[in-house]
Amino acid sequence: MSISRSRFSGLLARVCLPLSLLGGVSQASGAVPEIELIIKDHLFFPATIEIPARQKVRVRIINQDPSPEEFESFELNREKLVVGYGEVVIFIGPLEPGEYPFFGEFYPKTAQGVVIAK
Amino acid sequence: MFLNAVVLVLQEILEAALLLSVMLVFTRLFHLVWQQNFLLRDSWVYYGIVLGGLGAGIYAQLTPQISSWFDYVGQEVVNAGIHVVTLSLLTVLTFVAPLSHLDAKPYARSRLVSLCMIGIVLLSIVREGSEIMQYMGGIASQPDNFTPVLFGGIIGAGIGVSTGILLFYGIVNLQTRVAFRSALILLCLIAGNMAAQVAMLLNQADWLPYTPVVWNSSNLIPETSVFGHLLYALIGYEATPSLLQVCFYAAGIVLVGVSPLFRRIWSDKPKPMVQYAS
Repeated sequence: MSISRSRFSGLLARVCLPLSLLGGVSQASGAVPEIELIIKDHLFFPATIEIPARQKVRVRIINQDPSPEEFESFELNREKLVVGYGEVVIFIGPLEPGEYPFFGEFYPKTAQGVVIAK
Repeated sequence: MFLNAVVLVLQEILEAALLLSVMLVFTRLFHLVWQQNFLLRDSWVYYGIVLGGLGAGIYAQLTPQISSWFDYVGQEVVNAGIHVVTLSLLTVLTFVAPLSHLDAKPYARSRLVSLCMIGIVLLSIVREGSEIMQYMGGIASQPDNFTPVLFGGIIGAGIGVSTGILLFYGIVNLQTRVAFRSALILLCLIAGNMAAQVAMLLNQADWLPYTPVVWNSSNLIPETSVFGHLLYALIGYEATPSLLQVCFYAAGIVLVGVSPLFRRIWSDKPKPMVQYAS
């Protein structure tokens, strides 16, 4: 074989090393404020979320509908499926002050909301 | 509901269709270059699609459990894992693919290439397919929505698959070397897109740190526009990418760009290939 083993192992190291470092970072989230967002009847409650600017926030999304929904926001670069009667967590920010709309991709007509960073 | 179903299903299908097309283009080009001497058969694609469909069903069933893993960020971790495995398979493919039977162990290599292709297509169908199944399954529980969503989904899937077919024939009808180069550029973008998604997912899960937004092109090409949607599905366009996403995207491109396959096809004298292809 013209492709040597060492090249493979070098590549493997390149891929795996950053991954092994990830574990450590995950523990770093200490006292992150949490906000609850409820999905019911294809609506978000509350539809307006105020969060402190320039601070990371944990958003717990609880779906009280039997149908799945996908939380999506282009402005926040966030996208996540929440199964029926399911619960998920996403982290947003730190955000510059401003408004960041989000919506439910499965029911975009009704499921609308906005994050306001102050 | 109808239009929403078209867009949603199209978006998911496009990503998988693009990857499948590019893999099929490579199969065709390898056949040309190898003069069909080796083992790589078109049938790999059926394995990929069937196993991918099965996998998508299983993944959709397991999503409630997966969601609660790692303190409710399981989806991000599993999806990022799927991307990392796919990227690894892409890397193996571009590093072992033989370009002529002058290369050592061409049979073993082409078998490995087939397996990589099955894995790549399978995993992309698992990810995109499970989301479509979730959406369709959820909507089907509401009788009013069933018909518009079903037809919307079929039309979305139709457009997605047609785009893939157009892309395939568009590329394979080019001159062999141009076709190879086009497919490789697409592969670079696919790898970059996938790597950038890993960065986004793991940042969303707080497994990777926050990095500042590098640019804001939302006035130029809004992600909500049709063109923005298309660019997102094809090359992973983000109007406000983070530094980490940009770095990962670049790393994905480099991963394919440094491969022997890329370098040999891009260099001006890939002698064996040109001889066999002409």
